[in-house]
Amino acid sequence: MHAVKRPVIISIVCIMGFIGSLFSFLWVFSPFIKNLGDWYPALFGIINTCGFVAYIGVWHMKRWGIHLYAVAFFSRTSIYILIDDMGTFTIIGIIVSVIFITVMSLFYKRMDVNL
Amino acid sequence: MLFLRLLKESILFAINALVVNKLRSILSLLGITIGIFAIISVFTVLDALEKNLRDSITSLGDNVVFIQKWPWEFGGDYAWWKYLNRPDPSIKEMDDIMRQCQSAQAITYMVSLRRTVQQENNSIEGVEVMAVSQDYDKVKSFEIANGRYFSEAESASGKSITIIGDAVANALFGPIDPVGKYIKVFGRKIMVIGVFKKEGESILGGNIDTQVLIPVNFARNVVDLNSEFLEPSLLINAKPGISNEQLKDELVGVMRSIRKLKPLADDNFALNEISILSKGFDSIFDVIGTVGWIIGGFSILVGGFGIANIMFVSVKERTSLIGIQKSLGAKNYFILFQFLAESVILSLIGGIIGLIIIYFGTFFVESAFGMQASLTKSNVILGLTISALIGIISGFIPSYGASQLDPVEAIRAK
Repeated sequence: MHAVKRPVIISIVCIMGFIGSLFSFLWVFSPFIKNLGDWYPALFGIINTCGFVAYIGVWHMKRWGIHLYAVAFFSRTSIYILIDDMGTFTIIGIIVSVIFITVMSLFYKRMDVNL
Repeated sequence: MLFLRLLKESILFAINALVVNKLRSILSLLGITIGIFAIISVFTVLDALEKNLRDSITSLGDNVVFIQKWPWEFGGDYAWWKYLNRPDPSIKEMDDIMRQCQSAQAITYMVSLRRTVQQENNSIEGVEVMAVSQDYDKVKSFEIANGRYFSEAESASGKSITIIGDAVANALFGPIDPVGKYIKVFGRKIMVIGVFKKEGESILGGNIDTQVLIPVNFARNVVDLNSEFLEPSLLINAKPGISNEQLKDELVGVMRSIRKLKPLADDNFALNEISILSKGFDSIFDVIGTVGWIIGGFSILVGGFGIANIMFVSVKERTSLIGIQKSLGAKNYFILFQFLAESVILSLIGGIIGLIIIYFGTFFVESAFGMQASLTKSNVILGLTISALIGIISGFIPSYGASQLDPVEAIRAK
């Protein structure tokens, strides 16, 4: 099993992502999200956890990381549109995620297909 | 099917590992227990307070407008000097409003006094004695468990009769039926004609259980209602189909005309609503909720780091076992699930213990503070979700590391 060497830019993206995920994990269980409904913290929590796990996959240069990240991103964005919460922070979050996906995609072919 | 069998097997492996290292498992799940306890207990207390507040608002009347001298304001500077010289609402103004205001369904005059209430050798100090006009029962919602309300004739003549709260009745009469008996207030004997149905503690005060209700026309014979130390109110509710805002708009005009205020003069009365109080409480609840969430959130993060640490130790300890499993054909995902299940189960047990502590804590809160508190479905979902997800987050890195181990090197590891 030969590990693919990880580019510096991917390392930066992943470290930023890990930190962001930890803080947004706290946000997910805030009273503000809880007020949206009983299941919203769980829903956002699962999406956020998927995002965190995806960064681990990308860190190890695995393709499933990008796939999982994309799924988490689209799910999160769909919910934001559904609940009509397109504030400044949401839009900044979407832009950052799109940049991350673009950067990850640049190295997609070099990534490992296995788990 | 094979996947499910492997998943089941990996969970059994995980449970076995937790049972073998009991003390380590208990210590590492403590962090999660404390975190879940902190977050969910704050949410549970807030839910209980909010429910109590909503019930209190319903009881006080969310469709009632209070005409008073002092406005209810939260936050900022309270300009008391502007309100100090305002006149108090009077019984005459009540009659004028009822004649002129088209939107009002009922109006009552109310003034609250603190007095000692006696019955033979029993007495209670500082009881809230409410002197009210006849339509009090049409403005405020309450039930009379025993006896009846004042008749129009009794209210108009100022008969010495009273309706007492459940707590007052118990304290003065014990098991004896108080209806038809006499109590002594203001040095006068007053006949009890009714007892209010028990309501319980109210967050907004004005608990009916500890009140004594008397007709205002009786009270004016024994107390100077024009005293500057009393703060009377006029309580008005709107006719069906008329909002509080419409009622308030009309009341402003009516009150200004009754008090003969010039067009440019400021109002010398305040129109208060219970919603002002509830909005003030909402901001307090938001602050408490946010503080609890931040403290609990960081406790959970610390608990998560504890679990991650234990999982790294667990992987290190079982490296050679992982090597053997992989050399015998175990897939990467089998190893991944095995450790991930261990971490999630550990975290879930921590969360469940935290929830159980809160569940029993609600009984303590109920008995100690007389406040209805319960662990709601949404809080249980929240607690279990946080636990499971923190288990995944903290356990994924060590589990994934374990799944990626080279079998040969893993077997050789000490």
